[in-house]
This record gives sequence, C-alpha cells and structure tokens, in this order.
Amino acid sequence: MIFALRGVAVSLTFFVLIYCLLSALVVVAWRAVRVLRLTADGLAVGLFALRVLPLVASFVITLAFVVPSFQLLEPRSADEGMGVMPVALGLCALLLIAAGCFRVAKAQRGTSRVVARWQQGARPLNAGLAAATLQSRREAPPLMLVGVRGPRVLVSESAVELLTKHELQIALRHELAHMRSRDNLKKLICRFCPFPGMAALESAWSQAAEMAADDAAVAKVDDAVDLAAALVKLSRLVPVDAPPVCTVGFVTGSLSARVTRLLAWDGSAKARGLAVRPWNFVAPVLVLIFCAFATYGPVLALTHEATEWLVR
Amino acid sequence: MPKLFSILGSSSHPQLGPFEQQMLEELWRRGSATVRELLADGTIHQAYTTVMTTVDRLYKKGLLERVAEGRAFRYTPRQSPQEFQRVAVLDSIRQLLGNGEASSLPLSYLVEALSSHDAQLLDELQLLVEQKRRELKNRGGKDRAEEQP
Repeated sequence: MIFALRGVAVSLTFFVLIYCLLSALVVVAWRAVRVLRLTADGLAVGLFALRVLPLVASFVITLAFVVPSFQLLEPRSADEGMGVMPVALGLCALLLIAAGCFRVAKAQRGTSRVVARWQQGARPLNAGLAAATLQSRREAPPLMLVGVRGPRVLVSESAVELLTKHELQIALRHELAHMRSRDNLKKLICRFCPFPGMAALESAWSQAAEMAADDAAVAKVDDAVDLAAALVKLSRLVPVDAPPVCTVGFVTGSLSARVTRLLAWDGSAKARGLAVRPWNFVAPVLVLIFCAFATYGPVLALTHEATEWLVR
Repeated sequence: MPKLFSILGSSSHPQLGPFEQQMLEELWRRGSATVRELLADGTIHQAYTTVMTTVDRLYKKGLLERVAEGRAFRYTPRQSPQEFQRVAVLDSIRQLLGNGEASSLPLSYLVEALSSHDAQLLDELQLLVEQKRRELKNRGGKDRAEEQP
C-alpha cells in the first residue's frame, strides 16, 4: 500500500514539475513561432500545440517513463518513508488537476446557462450548412457558434435582417470553419491547463483562429469584401457582456486588423505562408518514439535516480 | 509616434523631452547603437556630449539597457514601442481611475470616449468596404468592356 502511494506521489511530483517547467518555457518562448511565417491556419495550429504542449508532454513523460521506472526499479521495501517533497508536490499536482476540472465544469455550466437564454424562442434556419443553425431572438448576439458536443450556429433575427444573402452565407461559412477546427473544445482544453502568463498566447491563438476561419470562408475577392462588410455591420450589434467560454462569436479579435486583411485579400495570400498539416507532425513523432525506444533502459535508470533524489 | 509619447503626459511613466523621444525612436529603429553610431549618418545635429547625456538620462529612467563596448556603451531599448505604449496606457488609465473621490466618473468618461471612438472606427471601416466594392465594380465594368469586340 505504502509502495503504491509512494508511486502515485512520485508520479504526480514529476508530472507537476515537468508541467511547470514546460509551461514557463512556453510563456517565455512562444513568440518565436512567428519567425516561421506560417499561414493563419498554420499559426493557429502551432499556437494551440504550444499551449497544450506542457500538459500533453508531462502526461506522456509521466506515463511512459516515471511510472514504469518506479514499478521496475524501485525496491518494494516497506520501511522507506514517503518524503516531504513528493507529498507536497503530489498535493500541488492534485490541486492543479482539481482546479482544471473545476474551471472546465464552471465554463460548461456558465455556457449552458447563457446559451439556453439565447436559444429561448429560437427556430431552425435553413442555411444549407453542415451544422444545426438556429435563428435566435433579436436581442441575442448576432452570430455565434455554441457548444462543444453537438455544436450549433445561432444567428439573431437582427443579423438576418441586416446582412445580404451572400454576406450571411460567407459569415456562416466562417462559423463552420470554427466548428471544423473544434475551436470551442480547444478553448475548454485551455481552461483545463491554467498557468500564469498564458493569456497572451491564448489571445494570439484566438486572433489566429479568427483569421484562419476568415481564410477558410473566403474563396474569391467578392467573398472577402462581403465578409468584411458583414463584420462591420454585425460589430454594431455585439452586446457589451463578454461571451461565455464555449462559444465563438463572429465579431472576435481585432476588428480593424481582420477587415483590413480581408480588403487586401488576393488568392495567392494563402499559398504564401507555410501551412501546417497533421502529417507534418508524423516524422518528428516517429523520431521521438524511435529515440525513446532506443534509449528506454538508460532513461528509465536516470528517471529512477531522479526519483531517489526527490524522495530523499 | 508623437501620439504614443503624448499618452505619457498624464501618467507616472517617465516623462520624456522632445530630444529624448527622438533618441528613443532612433534606438527603436536601429535596435541598438552607440552614441557614435547615432551621430554617424548625420541625421542628428547635436553635439556628441548632448547625445551622450540624453541617452544616459534615458538609461537612468530605466528605458534603455547598456553594455560596455570598448570605451563606449552600446544602448538597447528595454521595451518595444508596443510594450512601451501598453505600459504607458495602463499607467494612465490606472492613474485616471485612481484619481478623485468618485472613480466611476472618469470610468464613464472613458467608456464614452471608447464608444465614440468605436463608432468612428466602424464608420471608417464601412467607408473602406464601400470603396473596395466600388473599385471591384469599376474593374468588373472595365474588364467586360475590354472583352467586347
């Protein structure tokens, strides 16, 4: 029993240490990603990957190295104590995980409450989209993608009246792009892994995600101008209150930067930047797995030495 | 850029004179420089000692970093123009809200100013959109005219 508890404490200690170290590194160095001259879509993917890197890496390292090193190399003697450091840091890790769960639950509850209010009296809108689209009341926000599971698009009556048919169609395509990249889920994941100083990275990701959705919605110059027009028109309808977490509003981010960018749109703009595709990650991940296999024994021994040092 | 420095007028951020502003802008443009390099291209018509005293004052106000380079110093701005602006604006707003007995009054002025600025910005953006539409329409008309024999 003591052995198992020690194992848990040591694993949590490693988890929290790696998480904090990587998070601090990301907070300091994330701006370097801009050097790569990525497309808006690539930048959004890169920034989000950096945002979740500390959580994913600390989880994988703990499961792949710390737990096995303790299981295989730690002698099962009952007389060895727990040590103050693993207990304290293990508690910190539990607090961090609990805080993450609490923030996620709070965000979801808050979103459900507000979205339920917006959806009162809403009726289906046949917009020819791959997502459920509802026409909400006049006073609801003009255009929103809401929800994580079963996301849906809410368009207010005012927005339908104010926009031309083509403007509305392009604006809906923008929201659909957010849905395809699961931006609401990504926002929720960011809530799960808090760390001081991440707000700037999250804001840059949000702006990049908006521009990526703009790019996805636009196929020709007329589309870009209509999307810019829709943005300006709907900006006048946006309520003052901040929207809940699991929603993406159409008018988000720097309005003037988006409108200016759309008015300068040309077909070649997307091709100029460096795009990031899922298969770009295959080679680095395979190399990492190969390195991990090749050095697994020594790394386990090293991890166990670090464990001993921590427990002492 | 003068707009950026005018923000400082009401804040507790270090106040800068016109020549200090010019030197700071010059250093932002170059990234870093020694006094001799600042004077080298002849755009600054001041004595070596004046420039040296000014950048030294900026250093003492915490706006520059310096490292020894031979017998001189190389000066580098501590903040980018954007960071400088952010700190100055936050400082001014903090001072504005902290001033007086009723902090809600300055806040309401601020909201009013922002709302009118927002409306103005939206009008400007609307004009840009309409201008672009006219441009596209004219171009479309010309293209069609050229296609006709």
